Amino acid sequence: MIHLLLQAPSESTGQNALMTSAPVTPADFWLPEGASTFAPQVDFAFQFVAWISYFFFVLVVGLMIFFAIKYRQKGREAYARGPSHHTMLELGWTIIPTILCVFMFWFGFRGFIDLRTPPQNSYQIDLTAQKWAFNFRYPTGAASADQNLYIPVGRPVKLVMRSEDVLHAAFIPAFRVKHDIVPGRYSTLWFQSDHVTEGWNDSDPLKQKFHHFFCAEYCGKGHSGMYAKIFVLPQADFDLWLEKQGRWMDDLKGDELWQVAGPKLFGRCASCHSLNGSAGTGPSWEGLWARASGGAGSDGKLDNGRETYSSLIGPGKKFENPESYVRNSILNPGDHIVVPYGNVMPTFRGQLNDLAIDAIIGMMKNLDKFDAKGKYIGGAPIAAK
Amino acid sequence: MTTSSPTANAQSTDNYLTFTRGIKSWMFTLDHKRIGVMYLVSVLASFFVGGLFALIVRTKLLTPGEVSWIDADQYNQAFTLHGAIMVFLVIIPSIPGALGNFVLPIMLGAKDVAFPRLNLFSYYLWVTGAFLSVYALLAGGFDTGWTFYTPYSTTTETAGVIPVVMGVFVLGFSSIFTGLNFVVTIHKLRPPGMTWFRMPLLLWALYATALIQVLATPVLGITLLLLIIERAFGIGIFDPDMGGDPVLFQHFFWFYSHPAVYIMILPGMGIISEIIAVHSHRQIFGYKYVAFSSIAIAIFSFLVWGHHMFTSGQSELMNVVFSFITFSVAIPSAIKVFNWLATLYKGAIVLNTAMLYGLAFMFLFTIGGLTGLPLGTLNVDIHLHDTYFVVAHFHYVMMGSALIAMVGGIHHWWPKMFGVMFSEFWGRIGCTLVFVGFNVTFFTQFMLGSQGMPRRYYMYQPEFQTYHVISTMGAYVMALGFFVTAAYLLHSLFFGKKAPANPWGGRSLEWQCTSPPPHDNFSTTPSVGNPYDFSDVRWNEAEQGYEIDPNAVPSKDTH
Repeated sequence: MIHLLLQAPSESTGQNALMTSAPVTPADFWLPEGASTFAPQVDFAFQFVAWISYFFFVLVVGLMIFFAIKYRQKGREAYARGPSHHTMLELGWTIIPTILCVFMFWFGFRGFIDLRTPPQNSYQIDLTAQKWAFNFRYPTGAASADQNLYIPVGRPVKLVMRSEDVLHAAFIPAFRVKHDIVPGRYSTLWFQSDHVTEGWNDSDPLKQKFHHFFCAEYCGKGHSGMYAKIFVLPQADFDLWLEKQGRWMDDLKGDELWQVAGPKLFGRCASCHSLNGSAGTGPSWEGLWARASGGAGSDGKLDNGRETYSSLIGPGKKFENPESYVRNSILNPGDHIVVPYGNVMPTFRGQLNDLAIDAIIGMMKNLDKFDAKGKYIGGAPIAAK
Repeated sequence: MTTSSPTANAQSTDNYLTFTRGIKSWMFTLDHKRIGVMYLVSVLASFFVGGLFALIVRTKLLTPGEVSWIDADQYNQAFTLHGAIMVFLVIIPSIPGALGNFVLPIMLGAKDVAFPRLNLFSYYLWVTGAFLSVYALLAGGFDTGWTFYTPYSTTTETAGVIPVVMGVFVLGFSSIFTGLNFVVTIHKLRPPGMTWFRMPLLLWALYATALIQVLATPVLGITLLLLIIERAFGIGIFDPDMGGDPVLFQHFFWFYSHPAVYIMILPGMGIISEIIAVHSHRQIFGYKYVAFSSIAIAIFSFLVWGHHMFTSGQSELMNVVFSFITFSVAIPSAIKVFNWLATLYKGAIVLNTAMLYGLAFMFLFTIGGLTGLPLGTLNVDIHLHDTYFVVAHFHYVMMGSALIAMVGGIHHWWPKMFGVMFSEFWGRIGCTLVFVGFNVTFFTQFMLGSQGMPRRYYMYQPEFQTYHVISTMGAYVMALGFFVTAAYLLHSLFFGKKAPANPWGGRSLEWQCTSPPPHDNFSTTPSVGNPYDFSDVRWNEAEQGYEIDPNAVPSKDTH
């Protein structure tokens, strides 16, 4: 990877990535490996506070144990003479901790200002958080197809974040950054990583290195599964990757569309919808196509009991065919709620294009060719990608 | 010095437990001691339930993935219940409600608190709040986290949110009335001779606590009402979809809940001041510093709520200001620790169960306090916020300090409350198990958090599993320690040796009436001197307890 790193153009900063390179801080007893330009500063402040803490802990607990052993009660001694106060001592243990606190505050303050001041030339990525996924959108308009965050190496990256529903928080331990994503406003977070994650495009996932991107603000059932990987790419690879994101489905021919794109897209649906009939936050896809096409279960209740599938879907009805119903349910999920599920699904308008919806419909029609986790098990003719 | 005859007080034969009989004599009692005992039983029962939920959470976390016996929704409800029960039903009312009610009037040489009926009403408000919480559980539970953050809490589908928020609202009033009662009692019922600076330090701590209870809790009440209004009637206050602001809720919530941290810890510090001084048989070091540091903590506690919101999106300037003020609250806490340490110097230290809990408190509070420093340091907090580091930090302070102080206080005043001695042998074993189990459970969580494990996670990355397994093992050891403790304390009620009036050699007034105290506490209003001047205390072999030497020459020690 190092040769790619050397070739990487850094248009915005006009500097070679290696020249601005901050060292990776190695993992230690307390902190994980640090891979952002902030990490050395944060880790220094952490260690500064930690060593002050070790000192006072040893002082307090050491003296406590020493006194507790040395000054044991002798016999039934009911009155021990000890000093009642000592003004200089009191002043000392008031003033010295105060001075140390000022230093701790100062280091934290300096680092924080850097953390909250994105450079003018930052590369902006928009992040939309919803229950329970992160969606990254790049300046070209393309979204990250596998829901992971890919960033160019050696360049400041600014996330402009908003939430579709409740509070979430973006947390990247390796970068030492975190910020809440608050509905009704835009929040920003910036970072720069000078180190490519090795093996990011290796076909063997075990050889891929990546950083964790967690949701850190409690947001309900899927909170702990709200997760993305971060890959740091050489600029040239990043440009290639970005180029592919907008049109990765265009190259898929015929049935390949639902065979290849279906499972990838289903990854986003899987937190609420199962494929094997087991209960989830939303209805299982199992038997869904039959119900929508007037087959078994088409008398299932919709829309708080006022409608059924068969009264809603068919020639001359609200939805001409099952395809229109599914498409509408993806783009306007609140229109017709399946009893007894709640109105919790966010709209995917602007996130899934027509091709993607076609792929999902194709997958629903052919569910018998997928296992319970959404893996295609129909055999040929699938073109290996 | 005591001029009335303590022996006359110690000779009365009836006591508050046997004064009247029957269930009604307890249910409608106005006796502060009985109300204290009822609080104690209720709080310990709640502690048992909250502890069970903690064990459920810890057991789930043995494995990183999904498990068959508890799903994510149930897990979310379990940690929500654990937090809500432990904060609102256990720790906040524990020391003021149970030990404070029992000890405070006796320490003042008074017959009761200033408003005995209000006191009973506080207790029944607590019971009402507890029943509302149980109802919320039966009505469908709640999965909001104990912090009730909007807009999750106003939109989640669990049906128990409004009942439990009502419950916490009612519990808030229970807390306010207790605080009001204590403020008035300390102002108006101090006996002749007890100036402010001759009060036992527990009273200073309870007074500072009561001030916070009275001033901060109404803000919680208003906030919870607004939450109910938004959820029930769709009036937008916090939900941005309806023109509200979710960060506003956090400001309101922490404006109460940060001071509430000190409602929990300050009385514990008061108990520790008593335990350390009495079991060292020595004048407390720096009485005035310890007393004023309680008041300083109470004042600062109102100015630091924003440090819970460093990542929330409040302005950068506010983050900086709150970080600065947050460090100032570290100083009075440090002063207390150093003064307790100096009190041990040249003492006559008895390592009995109560004192072991006192020393355990010093150990755990030192860690809890020091780990607050990285959380106050702005850029470090950004990394540690909402991780297990914070979970470990507040368990060291809330449980390792406040609750351990409560357990230490129970042992310190157990002979006084029930007139029996418990087994010191089993006491020391129980304390050791709790202490070791606690550290194994929560110290590992510091490492989990600093390495990036977020809190409130049902599933987690496999790399964290080793720490989680160790932590869960620690929780089991701690649970065993509490079962041992419950067993020997219950055993002592039936088979314990009869307790002398003054088993530890304390000098404050509660040690001058019989164990258990008579219904009226004192037949004559006792007069008081320095509560930490032990110069006239001596051992009485026949009584197997300490007594005050009536012929002793008063010491010249004054503050």
